[in-house]
Amino acid sequence: MDERIVIVDSGTGLTLTEEQLDERSAVAIVQLRRRGVRVGDTVLICLPVGPDLLVAADAVIAVGGVAWPVPADLDACVLQERIQASGARVLISDLPQALEAAEESRVRIVMSVADLHSYPNSRELSTQSDRIVPSASGG
Amino acid sequence: MTPHNLPAEPNRFVGRARDVAELGTLVRQHRVVTLSGVGGIGKTRLSLRVAAQAAPWFSDGVWLVELGRIGDSGLIVNEMAEVLGVRDEIPGRLLDGLRVRLREARALILLDNCEHLVERCAQLVAGLIAECPCLRFLLTSREPLRIPGELVWRVPPLELPDADHPDAESVLLFVERAAAAGAREVTASMADIVRLCRALDGLPLALELAAARTSLLSPGRIADRIGNRFGLLTLGDRTAPPRQRTLLATVEWSHDLLQPKERVLLRRLSVFAGLFDLGLAERVCADGGILRKAELLDLLSGLVDKSLVLHHDARGRYRLLETIRQYAAERLAEAGEDARLRDRHLRVICEEMERCYEGGSLDRRMPWSERFPHFVRGRGLLDDCRIAVDWAVESRDPVLGLRLARAALSILAVRGDLGESVGWHERLLALDLSAVPGDLIAVAKGGLAYGLEVGDELARAEELIVQAVEEQKKHPYTHWLGITYNVALTVFFRTGQSERALRYLEELEAAASAHDDLFNLATARIAQLNLALFRGQVRYARRRGEEALALARESGHHWTLARALTHLGAVAEADGDLEAAMAHHTAALPLLEDMDNRVELARCHAKIGRVAAGLRDYAAARRHLAAGLALSRQSGQRRGIVRALMALADLAQAQDDLEGAVLAAAAGTALRESIGQYGTPGRVQQLLAPARARLGEGRVALLWARGMDGSPEEVAARVLDSDLAAAPPFGPPAPAGSRYGGLTCREQEIAGLLTRGLSNRVIALELVISPATVAKHVANIMEKLGFTSRAQIAVWAAEHGLDADHQAAREADIERA
Repeated sequence: MDERIVIVDSGTGLTLTEEQLDERSAVAIVQLRRRGVRVGDTVLICLPVGPDLLVAADAVIAVGGVAWPVPADLDACVLQERIQASGARVLISDLPQALEAAEESRVRIVMSVADLHSYPNSRELSTQSDRIVPSASGG
Repeated sequence: MTPHNLPAEPNRFVGRARDVAELGTLVRQHRVVTLSGVGGIGKTRLSLRVAAQAAPWFSDGVWLVELGRIGDSGLIVNEMAEVLGVRDEIPGRLLDGLRVRLREARALILLDNCEHLVERCAQLVAGLIAECPCLRFLLTSREPLRIPGELVWRVPPLELPDADHPDAESVLLFVERAAAAGAREVTASMADIVRLCRALDGLPLALELAAARTSLLSPGRIADRIGNRFGLLTLGDRTAPPRQRTLLATVEWSHDLLQPKERVLLRRLSVFAGLFDLGLAERVCADGGILRKAELLDLLSGLVDKSLVLHHDARGRYRLLETIRQYAAERLAEAGEDARLRDRHLRVICEEMERCYEGGSLDRRMPWSERFPHFVRGRGLLDDCRIAVDWAVESRDPVLGLRLARAALSILAVRGDLGESVGWHERLLALDLSAVPGDLIAVAKGGLAYGLEVGDELARAEELIVQAVEEQKKHPYTHWLGITYNVALTVFFRTGQSERALRYLEELEAAASAHDDLFNLATARIAQLNLALFRGQVRYARRRGEEALALARESGHHWTLARALTHLGAVAEADGDLEAAMAHHTAALPLLEDMDNRVELARCHAKIGRVAAGLRDYAAARRHLAAGLALSRQSGQRRGIVRALMALADLAQAQDDLEGAVLAAAAGTALRESIGQYGTPGRVQQLLAPARARLGEGRVALLWARGMDGSPEEVAARVLDSDLAAAPPFGPPAPAGSRYGGLTCREQEIAGLLTRGLSNRVIALELVISPATVAKHVANIMEKLGFTSRAQIAVWAAEHGLDADHQAAREADIERA
């Protein structure tokens, strides 16, 4: 197995190997699709710089979407303007200010980082665990 | 065709094409989808559209449950049960019935307007999806439930026009509705329309309200006027989100444009629970002063034209959108008319129910076809009855409340569910009764005892029923006394006090004959039949049954007729005359169907099934037992399921299928024990003895254990030898699983490469594609195979010969060929 480290979180020092990145991307792609993201769709990503941001961007691109990153530390008004201007249907974020700014936008679905990570147990019972936030990554 | 109760769309649905398509997929993939957003954004309309389009995937139906009309979270279960046809088995245990109904159901339940009941909805939905694997929910709510498995989908406003898209959704909706409202040349000034759509934030309800006024006001003038209002908003929370304020401003604007009389009518209409017709609106809302009865139709039509009231169906019923109803209710309270109008609503609903009771009368000799519409009408008033009883309790008006509960009793009894009336009576009888006429209290005690007896609360029933009889005897005779006598003798027979029961039976017979009360005389005859049958006097029993039948025919009441036939069937069975039993039961079947009495109907099917088995008509027996079982499941009747399983055991035994007989008896016994119902162990032993002799002790013990563990459905399917259990799990089945699980060639290739533990980047290099493309293929494979990791794919690929070695071998094969 390829153990090459491809991402380091500068804040926590946690690393992601190439295999972990591939795994997370695949799961995130499935989750994006399950929420109806299609080729050409804009997906807002408002996350702090770090592995989750990269995984999210990777997955959005792989699913055929247009990644539209928004800095997490923008002032509320600017954040709201940017979100409105994007016309995006999906927003990936855990940040309260981003969720609030999305209230009056055209965003249909907000995905948390936990949503990107969790994979349903089976297709039939899929979403039972969908929004259970794993305690380790809840935020 | 999927069964459903979705209303027809009142006008064309505009826009949101992709949203509808996307949600159609989401409701199949996610257990709970919640459409959230402010009032007026179009959640309800969108949800109805999505539900209708998703219908083909839900073979057990798509069911709309409107929660806006109920104020008490305890009634959510009642509403759901009503929509799904679940009947109360034991009062207060309706939720168990729902679980039985939904456990195996591939159904979509649409809960509309959950916001005021979010907590209870969350509990209920979470519980049901955990227990019912194929059930899906679609909800509309201003607030999400916040439960595991919920996908929150925020409904956006309609798209606003811009330079590139002058024909945005919001413009299309406005123009369409304006044209429908009779506006001419509304499109003359597109710039004004664009301005208006922007001012209204693309909110569908605001657009509808504005468009309804275009026959008199141009879009430009409307935009100016509504624009002015934002600064002037006097009501509501000034910190509310902009969309909410826009809507409020628009509703207020539309309201203020109404004629004074229209305003009065609109606010008064908010007292109805749901649907209402012109007649009810006249009686509740007209007061002979401000609003005269003769003007109501014109005023109501005016409100419909302004899109504030919706014309619901061809039967001439109307309703208010939830957002408008809330606004109107606030205006009613503000005008200080709340209590007066609710008083009047209580009075009118009470009178209307009494009229239905009179119309379905017990004493007149009249054909059923003339009576039955009164029952249907009474049933349609049930939602209004609930809030009227609530008001009677709140305003301490036991007289009207008890009169209403009394009238509703006969309507509820014909259909076989008295559970809810128990609560009504209990709450009303707890009020100060000093000003209530004694006969009304006495009848109410009888009504309460009736519901308690049905729910097996015999001790409480006994105490009440004695009082009810004695107190009613002090007043002139009514049917209610006859009915009370019947409850009394049932209670005393059931508690083993036959002396007292007999005394009441004699009194009933004497009183009913003296007052020419055919209904209750027939009841007395049936009680005599039961008693005779119990004592083994078959001929006497049959004679009483025939008398009951003649009385029922004379009075024309189908409920009595069905009871007489059913009891005659039981007598014939006891006498061993199976042909006669079959004829009686079969004659009762259509009557019960007509009354929608699902509990008795299921029982009737089970009886026919058993008799048919005795007559060796096994095909008919299977048909009826299957029908009875399905009906019991659909109406959530576990006792009915027990009965059907026991009858199936008899059928299996008659067909010499001893294994099936043991399985069915075991499953029936397990279910019976789980609901704490007493059985007749003798009957089961009778069945087990020959099975033990033929199959051996060990085999029977094993089968018994399997039957006890098995689900009633599986066991029934096994005995009926049908393949109920083999239906595909969901909708159009996936194309027959090819050898490689439907993977494309490229996906097979990548799955093969994963067995070598390669990263996406390396695979991308090898296949000369981008890493993102590899990631997409991997995700596709996971989705198609239902896997959660790349390692699982690798194992699967190796097992299916997709790994490199096998690949090489296959290629070599191909070259050799």
